[in-house]
Amino acid sequence: MSRAWFQQKERGSPLALRIILWVALNVGRRASRALLYPITAYFLLFAPQSRRHSRNYLRRVLGREPRLMDQARHLHCFAAVILDRVFLLAGQDDRLDIQVHNREVFLEHVDSGQGAILLGAHLGSFEALRALAVGKYDFPVRVLMYNDHNQSITQFLEALNPEVAASVIPLGRTETLIQARECLDRGELIATLGDRVAESDKMVACDFLGDTALFPQGPLLLAAVLKVPVILCFGLYRGGNRYDIVFEPFAETIDAPRGQRDEALAQWVQRYASRLEARVREAPYNWFNFYDFWDDTSR
Amino acid sequence: MASQTTFEQEVAQLIVDSLNLEDVAAEEIEPEDALFREGLGLDSIDALELALAISRAYGVQIRSDDENNRQIFQSLRALSAHIEANRAAS
Repeated sequence: MSRAWFQQKERGSPLALRIILWVALNVGRRASRALLYPITAYFLLFAPQSRRHSRNYLRRVLGREPRLMDQARHLHCFAAVILDRVFLLAGQDDRLDIQVHNREVFLEHVDSGQGAILLGAHLGSFEALRALAVGKYDFPVRVLMYNDHNQSITQFLEALNPEVAASVIPLGRTETLIQARECLDRGELIATLGDRVAESDKMVACDFLGDTALFPQGPLLLAAVLKVPVILCFGLYRGGNRYDIVFEPFAETIDAPRGQRDEALAQWVQRYASRLEARVREAPYNWFNFYDFWDDTSR
Repeated sequence: MASQTTFEQEVAQLIVDSLNLEDVAAEEIEPEDALFREGLGLDSIDALELALAISRAYGVQIRSDDENNRQIFQSLRALSAHIEANRAAS
């Protein structure tokens, strides 16, 4: 059962984090990106767990035994995207080349005033979408997420951009989804990630990259209860300073009445997992779930 | 077992119907017991659906920014009292 990420402590001491963030904001992107190589080497050497999860994932997506370079590339990609979050949140996105694809799918829903759920994954940079939509273009996007995870980095990033931080609706309270509904009723968009299962979630076992993995029912259940459309969105990192933000229509309405709910939702969650798989294959080093996603330890 | 008032019976039935609680009978809900988490074990999606059902049945809106939410959702008794008070006011 993969709730493993919930218990896992994030690696990287606050001091190391502070140093690279200071360099990023005061020296610049080029200098801080040079630091990504020693950081990647550090993780390769001293983070055997992350490496093992990376290897188990890469084996599935590449269809062969991953080489050291594959793993280095995977970790480097992760570090680069985290670093770019700093620039995105600091409003320095002019350093990045961000292309938006299928923008009209997104704009249509903003204009309709109907509200919609933007569903992403821990694939590439969700920040690219969030920072641009909330910070730069002032689109009414609220982010539904767990707030308490990975405290030190969260606090730092929140301080960088209080506006984006204020757009978060924290999960885990009784009135969380009542608040989400109020936002949708006002025509706002709710962005959330559909690939991690938390303590209290109902789960769906889906076929994903050739094995069974658990996905949360929550985001699509919310869409079903509130009868709002779902749009998929991913911010894929292409190397250098290039990002592609892609939108993809997913569901106009999800019909899942109580009684037949689990069966109906299971099909929708599998559809999400299949679309995610297609995107993962397109950008394999963008997968940032460094934990036991397929529950390999209990196999 | 404490007994439900007539209105509490009605609200208990609404809870059971709107949340499709198959293994709970409306008359079995203890008026003072917790509805969420440790009690009936309801969660955030249940809170949302219950709020929608209450809004449809009684025209009473439960707002996320209401500071009394903790108290309103505390028990069947508290929830019924909240509905009754706000219905009477409107």
